[in-house]
Amino acid sequence: MFEQLFLILPMAIVVMGAFVLLLLSKTFSLDKLNLVAVFFLSLSFIIEILRFGTTTVCYSFPEIFGKMYIIDDFSILFDLMFTAGAILTLLINTAYFKSRNYYNGEYFALILFSVFGMMILAHSNELVTAFIALEIASLSVFALVGYHKYNKVSSEAMMKYMILGSMTGAFFILGTAFIYGAVGSTNLEDIAAYVNVPAEKDLVLVLIGGIFIMVTILFKMGAVPFHSWVVDVYQGAPFPVTMFMASTFKIALFAIALRLSLIDFASLNIVWSEILQVITVLTLIGGSFLAITQKSIKRMLAGSSVVHSGYMLIAYSSIGLGSDMAAPAIMFYLISYFLSAAGAFGILSFIATGSKKMMTYEDFKGFSERRPYLSAMMAIFMLSLSGFPSTIGFLGKFYIFTSAIESGQILLAGLGIVTAFISVYYYFKLIAMMYFYPSTDQQKKFPFDFSGLLIGVMAMMVIWGGVGTSLIPFIPGANGLIDIAKQAIDSLQNVL
Amino acid sequence: MMEITLQHYLVLSTILFAIGLIGVMRRKNLLLLFFATEILLNAVNIAFAAISSYYGDLTGQMFAFFIIAVAASEVAVGLGLLVLWYKRTGKIDLDAMTSMRG
Repeated sequence: MFEQLFLILPMAIVVMGAFVLLLLSKTFSLDKLNLVAVFFLSLSFIIEILRFGTTTVCYSFPEIFGKMYIIDDFSILFDLMFTAGAILTLLINTAYFKSRNYYNGEYFALILFSVFGMMILAHSNELVTAFIALEIASLSVFALVGYHKYNKVSSEAMMKYMILGSMTGAFFILGTAFIYGAVGSTNLEDIAAYVNVPAEKDLVLVLIGGIFIMVTILFKMGAVPFHSWVVDVYQGAPFPVTMFMASTFKIALFAIALRLSLIDFASLNIVWSEILQVITVLTLIGGSFLAITQKSIKRMLAGSSVVHSGYMLIAYSSIGLGSDMAAPAIMFYLISYFLSAAGAFGILSFIATGSKKMMTYEDFKGFSERRPYLSAMMAIFMLSLSGFPSTIGFLGKFYIFTSAIESGQILLAGLGIVTAFISVYYYFKLIAMMYFYPSTDQQKKFPFDFSGLLIGVMAMMVIWGGVGTSLIPFIPGANGLIDIAKQAIDSLQNVL
Repeated sequence: MMEITLQHYLVLSTILFAIGLIGVMRRKNLLLLFFATEILLNAVNIAFAAISSYYGDLTGQMFAFFIIAVAASEVAVGLGLLVLWYKRTGKIDLDAMTSMRG
């Protein structure tokens, strides 16, 4: 009994923290609420980090819930990224929400609820559980996107996201209904047993259901036929929420996508691969066009996040063609994208604290004279996002392209390299703006603070993930991270 | 008298889902858009209940309750925003939302 409770402790802590924050929201100040939220999240983070690599695969309350809720290294690694993403979002934006008048206590509760939903999504071993978890996470994110309720753009972004999001959410549950009709169960292991045993069975319903589920996942990732919301929503949302969505929520979708394709539809992956190849090509090209044409940095990063989905989709379609490297490559890329995107958006919202401008390329002219350290860190994140050697982003792309070549998708790997060259244009444009133009503003004195320190630590991790070895204990470098990724994928595949 | 089988229920659910999809695509009124998403989810509910009765287990009917709860919370968030939008603009028309063009 208590052992079982201990297994679900990290999620229980997060959801209890959310309720505590709701209760306290009228009495405490924003600063204290922020600390309470960070306290609960870090408690959960510490428990997960102690547990990583020590537990075998097990289920929580198997008699009551019937294997709906699985605990393995794969889901624990995702939990670590979600909690870390939320902690970074809260701590880096401390100054931001104090400078705006529309924030109140419920903001922190919503972030914790959303993290709770994502954690269940990573742990769910059953399609309806996954749907409910996805809805918990997305409903909280909908509300967060529209949090600036006095701003028309923010409400408009929320409305667009919400209508499209709930429509595609219905596709997920329709696909589940199809699979339930064919298999008679929605448990992933039952479905895998049904699909993987070669017999005279009609798999058409399972295939159609799987495609519908894939539509929802691709929509939330922002892959190209379903990308029309990405740029608008990222622009309309307040800066901390954009950071949270780009770095954390995007990762959550890959948790369920990887679990589905590695356990469930392993023998149907050949069929997915063809669909995914088309979507990958569209996503890489369309995302690059989106990113090139933008003038605002926030919109450029939104467009480029579509391109990053495209890179991960390259490896995702290689899974079906028999590449062992593909799944760990996605995990590694997720870690690298998480670090770089959280850092880049963190710097943006850190700068946006003092001004209400749009943050165009022009605003960054001569930024290195005004804030030398911040612009150096921004340059590191941009280099990592574009895949420059000696950063973690380079290794991430290296593993992705290796997996594509291993599975024989040489043209797709070539297209990925071409888009990486294109991405150099819009990332390095920002670096050029910061370093090669004189400053237009007066130099101001900025005090040293905690947010800047955190961003600095993340910049160090980006470099360390690219060149580091296991010289420093407890901080995994480049080779440590890929080992962690492989360990997580192994724990996923040992279930069967 | 024709017997009603699983197929009839599934066809009904598909028709309702199609109506809901067309509603989401064609309607300009935000309130009707929310109705359309409700139809989408409830169409799936019919399929779940019918399949569950076909197999003789209760899982599908249980899931239908969860989906009803999800649909209700989705509309709660949506209507909250709708009220806010109406207070500011006085309209609940989708065509008014064009300040950003992605």
